[in-house]
Amino acid sequence: MTLIHVPRPDVKSAMNPNRPVNALLKAQVQHLHEAERNLPLRRRTDIYINAIKTEGEAAEYIRRVTEAIHEAHEAAAAKRGRGIAIAAAEGPGDKAPSASRGKKKSKGKRARKT
Amino acid sequence: MPPGLDNLRHIVVLMMENRSFDHMLGSLTAVDPRIDGVTDQLSNPDTTGALVKPQPRAQFQGQLDPDPDHHFPAVDLQIFGGDTSPTRVANMQGFVKSYFNQQRDVGHSQKIMYYFTEQRLPVLTTLALEFAVFNRWFASIPGPTICNRAFAHYGTSFGRVDMNLLYVNEPFKSIYDRLISANPKHTAKLYYFDTTSSTMEITNLLENQPELFGTYPQFLTDCSTSNLPDYSFIEPNFNDHDSDSGEEVASDQHPDHNIQAGELFIASVYNAIKASPLWPNTALLVVYDEHGGIYDHVVPPACTPDQFTASANDTGTGQPFAFDRLGVRVPAILISPWIPKGTVVDGRVFDHASIPATITKFFLGDYSPRSPRETSADVFIEPNVAPVDPTRNLLSLTAMRDDCPDFDV
Repeated sequence: MTLIHVPRPDVKSAMNPNRPVNALLKAQVQHLHEAERNLPLRRRTDIYINAIKTEGEAAEYIRRVTEAIHEAHEAAAAKRGRGIAIAAAEGPGDKAPSASRGKKKSKGKRARKT
Repeated sequence: MPPGLDNLRHIVVLMMENRSFDHMLGSLTAVDPRIDGVTDQLSNPDTTGALVKPQPRAQFQGQLDPDPDHHFPAVDLQIFGGDTSPTRVANMQGFVKSYFNQQRDVGHSQKIMYYFTEQRLPVLTTLALEFAVFNRWFASIPGPTICNRAFAHYGTSFGRVDMNLLYVNEPFKSIYDRLISANPKHTAKLYYFDTTSSTMEITNLLENQPELFGTYPQFLTDCSTSNLPDYSFIEPNFNDHDSDSGEEVASDQHPDHNIQAGELFIASVYNAIKASPLWPNTALLVVYDEHGGIYDHVVPPACTPDQFTASANDTGTGQPFAFDRLGVRVPAILISPWIPKGTVVDGRVFDHASIPATITKFFLGDYSPRSPRETSADVFIEPNVAPVDPTRNLLSLTAMRDDCPDFDV
């Protein structure tokens, strides 16, 4: 059995969250923005996507909306399980988010460094 | 029946970003002439008329900046060399011209012809030489990411050739819906890297079926605990970001992301499967979504038209597109301990519609409706139903290999 050596990138030079956002990430942000518009108000971010210019800014927005989508579905499923009308509980007229919600740590964050 | 097919229970697809076959694997022609890569006979004219040959000078990062244009009009120029006449013939002569359009710099435009030497990509080239490399796997559309990835999920892009929102039109269900709705039920999952990278399949799947998704750590756990679903689709890390454990470098290999980070990620996926008890029962396909505007010499062939047509306005070329030609060739490698070392798949044409076609036929058998493109797409794993054609079955060994490589990730 052969063991192949895999060189690692120099993270310091490879990593650049200030890199201008590429067309793919722009599209991903746009698609998430469309999805965000369907979320209950209290789960929406307050991020203006036209102001997202860097990869780091895009990453933060992507994380927050992705988490919000999961949380909205989980909340709906939980309420469905309790027999409560989802529309009433998760309607678009819900209150604005608390200040700390958007800073919640990702549940699915990776533990691998490259 | 072939034991490789008899044992197969799990199929995993890892789709990377934006690199052409010649760019990543073209150097392997020098190692194995059956692999259709780079030769001295190839060239593209630059805007001065000088011929630019492919050169083994590709760098891991910092070279293809700005990101080479790979939207539909640019790819049209790359494939047809700028000829817009009704009788035009594809010649793959417009790559340097296309890249020149972005910076108006002749020297910089020539970098689109650069490729990696075998030694620079130890993971991808080792896998290509050890398992089955496809000489003719093409992007599904001569265009960008989102519409090409749609073919991997649905067997069609529902008429789109761009990055705009893609809303699914019934009756063509995603491969995931087909599997989880089947009787008997099958299992399927999309693993994105983490929530900060998320997925490129937002509008239909993430927004409406987030339960289909898992993270890459979950994939690693599912491998080690023998809980892989029947079908897994893995997305790499699409952006540089911080996480609880430190800095996460983008691993998708999209220009101008670091190539070595992608090599590590591919190796990590392979190692996880190989170290799993499910290794004898799993096949892994590593494939790229499209060429990213980077040179390849093989003319994309015509194909069965889809039932959709993109308008002249949508293509941006002044001409409609009937989805009757494939996109530029990309790297594709099928990995399994039942594949003979050094397999080169030649004389057959594949594209991303081959992914749902293969998964559907293998797990579900006959299924309809499917798009015309998917219905006509070739499969890379034969259905385990007699008679299996031995000339087409890639998992053909009668005994499992014990000489497969490991990577020190």
